[in-house]
Amino acid sequence: MTDNASPADLADTRFTDYATDGFYDEMFFADGQPRPRAELLAWRLKTLSPGELAKRQRAADQALLNMGITFNVYGHEAGTEKIWPFDLVPRILESDEWQRIEAGLRQRIKALNLFIDDMYHDQKIIRDGVFPEYMVKSSKNFLKQCVGLNPPKGIWCHITGTDLVRDTDGTVYVLEDNLRCPSGVSYVLENREVMKRTFPQVFDGLSILPVEDYPEQLLKMLQYIAPPTEDEPTVVVLTPGIFNSAYFEHCFLAQQMGVELVQGSDLVVSNGFVHMRTTRGLQRVDVIYRRIDDEFLDPLTFRPDSALGVPGLMDVYRAGRVALANAPGTGIADDKAVYAYVPAMIKYYLGEEISLPNVPTWLCADDEQREYVLKNIEKLVVKPANESGGYGIMVGPRATPEQHQQYRELIVSNPRNYVAQPTLALSRVPTLVGDHLEGRHVDLRPYILYGEDIYILPGGLTRVALVKGSLVVNSSQGGGSKDTWVLKNGTPRISDFLASQG
Amino acid sequence: MRYRVRHTTTYAYSDPVVLCQNQARLSPQTMPGQTRLEFSLEINPVPAIRRPWTDAFGNEVWYFSVESPHHQLEVTGRSLVDRHVQPLPNPSETPPWETVRGGLASGRELADRFASQFRFESPFIVELPEARQYALVSFTPNRPVVEAAIDLTRRIFEEFDYSPATTSVSTPTREVFQTRRGVCQDFAHLQITCLRTLGLAARYVSGYLVTEPPPGKPKLIGADASHAWLAVYCPGWGWIDLDPTNNVIPQEKHVTVGWGRDYGDICPIAGVFTGGGRQAMTVAVDVTPVASGAA
Repeated sequence: MTDNASPADLADTRFTDYATDGFYDEMFFADGQPRPRAELLAWRLKTLSPGELAKRQRAADQALLNMGITFNVYGHEAGTEKIWPFDLVPRILESDEWQRIEAGLRQRIKALNLFIDDMYHDQKIIRDGVFPEYMVKSSKNFLKQCVGLNPPKGIWCHITGTDLVRDTDGTVYVLEDNLRCPSGVSYVLENREVMKRTFPQVFDGLSILPVEDYPEQLLKMLQYIAPPTEDEPTVVVLTPGIFNSAYFEHCFLAQQMGVELVQGSDLVVSNGFVHMRTTRGLQRVDVIYRRIDDEFLDPLTFRPDSALGVPGLMDVYRAGRVALANAPGTGIADDKAVYAYVPAMIKYYLGEEISLPNVPTWLCADDEQREYVLKNIEKLVVKPANESGGYGIMVGPRATPEQHQQYRELIVSNPRNYVAQPTLALSRVPTLVGDHLEGRHVDLRPYILYGEDIYILPGGLTRVALVKGSLVVNSSQGGGSKDTWVLKNGTPRISDFLASQG
Repeated sequence: MRYRVRHTTTYAYSDPVVLCQNQARLSPQTMPGQTRLEFSLEINPVPAIRRPWTDAFGNEVWYFSVESPHHQLEVTGRSLVDRHVQPLPNPSETPPWETVRGGLASGRELADRFASQFRFESPFIVELPEARQYALVSFTPNRPVVEAAIDLTRRIFEEFDYSPATTSVSTPTREVFQTRRGVCQDFAHLQITCLRTLGLAARYVSGYLVTEPPPGKPKLIGADASHAWLAVYCPGWGWIDLDPTNNVIPQEKHVTVGWGRDYGDICPIAGVFTGGGRQAMTVAVDVTPVASGAA
């Protein structure tokens, strides 16, 4: 057996005709040899009996359905709830590389937090000429209502989901930062759970960093930011309700943390504090993990037509009597045009060079850069600066000439609102397509919690574009997900493992 | 001139309101040409919580919540304000508007930078091609900025009808352009839209206008009203107030409460309440000149 397991044997029938060229494949080198971190997995897949993987996949799909793991897609009329496709072949990260990613994310989140705080106070980075003023003045995400606010412990972005991608040469780039209400973390936990239930043998012999303690870490962080209280602070999760695309996740996190899930109508501001209506009367609330957008939080301060929020909430917040995670106003750092300045922010606030690189970004607000974008639009990815969820993105190489023209016009009519980036050849991971495996493009969203310390969930959410050749991984745009493994203690060599099995 | 201002807003409800949360922006600003000497806020029923804070534009805001059932809510702001005539630049000697626009865009001067936050779209001010066309008639190439802005104020005064009851708070500027009628708020929004589409900084000003009684008649209590106008930014001078509803440069007869990007930033009272059924609101404003010594 040991002799048969030479790497050359691994690219066998299961991966017959599996294309590994032209892209970085997370499991194989271009010549078809498995990467060291994936040797054992590749061997396991190879030695499965025919049809076994497809059978396990069906079992996993059934498990997800039974667990009710769903999401909603806006703009689809029939049946708002959908099962989010899960692919059984995991994505693997080596421990060395993960540590580098973690360090880069820590650096980034510290700088972004300082930037947000600076934006709502002295704006030193503008005065020092490092960041252009029009960028903040013209940003829809800069909230006047938040000027001068001092969130507890000086932390604005408590929960961040940062999207990473790997290009052809293996470099990992930060694609965007999600600092408002990033979603998807529940899928990381559920994917691992489903994987363990339906395909337990793949974990055998591997040491993988656990993800299960995320809810505990989240609760710890939320309690840390609570205003001073006599008893243990009361934490709630505030959801817009069942029609929100991430309602499942809101329920899941509240349940996992053992705290109440509430809607705006369950909360009331009275006597200078936020209270929750309970069967035993009003109960004071100290920390709100809110999954409602800033604009809907408080009709008295933001949109007066919001029925989702809590009137008077911002006044209690301003008085330091309730904590909100994330703080309102963080969207200013979430803007895709502001993103281009993150390397400069890191240098300005931390005096360091950026360690996890940004994707080169052209700002359409700049005359020269806009000219370049208009001339090369068919090669570029064009994104609106203020949208999230993959809405409004045009991938040049895959768009029609009519779409190119439409985007040229959009850019010219509102240059501030568009940025462009080169089309990256996102890395691929083998994915079950019918009865065989094919490479599909993936990204990675690690989740970062900023409390007393910075905690980063090992791995994060690997999203996969299930449509052949597609580069858009968003759940709302035909994406699925995979389990993500961060290996502990270096990489197990297949020969060692097999030797240990006798 | 010294004025006593009383601004009372009364809400009457058919059913009891059990809880209301409010923000009042009734406290006059102190600024060049105006000094606030006193301010008090009276609220009935007595609120559970009342707290002042200063918003991003420097306006004093009072938050309050009334937490006992009530059929009526009465909010009165009382202030004592000194208003002086401010020297104004000679309009024809102010810089060309294109230069002002360039300076605001470059943000090299600190004062310009603070003003430049009033150059962009805001909830009530959105880009409008017809506003640009309309503005360019006054803003001919290289025309001094204040001269052009005064001309624009005059044209709005002459070409639009003052017509209460035809518009509401939320009348879009596009519609005002079509119907050529509106109230002070609409004209302020309209001129701000014109100025911002040119890349200039313009802010919305909320306040009061002192009205004179007809000759020989005593002034009626409560006959005054909230008023709104705008200000355009002129480097080296600061903000120049313009009142398109009356075609004047506000001076001694205008008392400023505060300013923002548009009405939404400085509406006198905003509130959210639970219960109440049908509601009716009445507003009474008195601005009374007092002798400086007698205050």
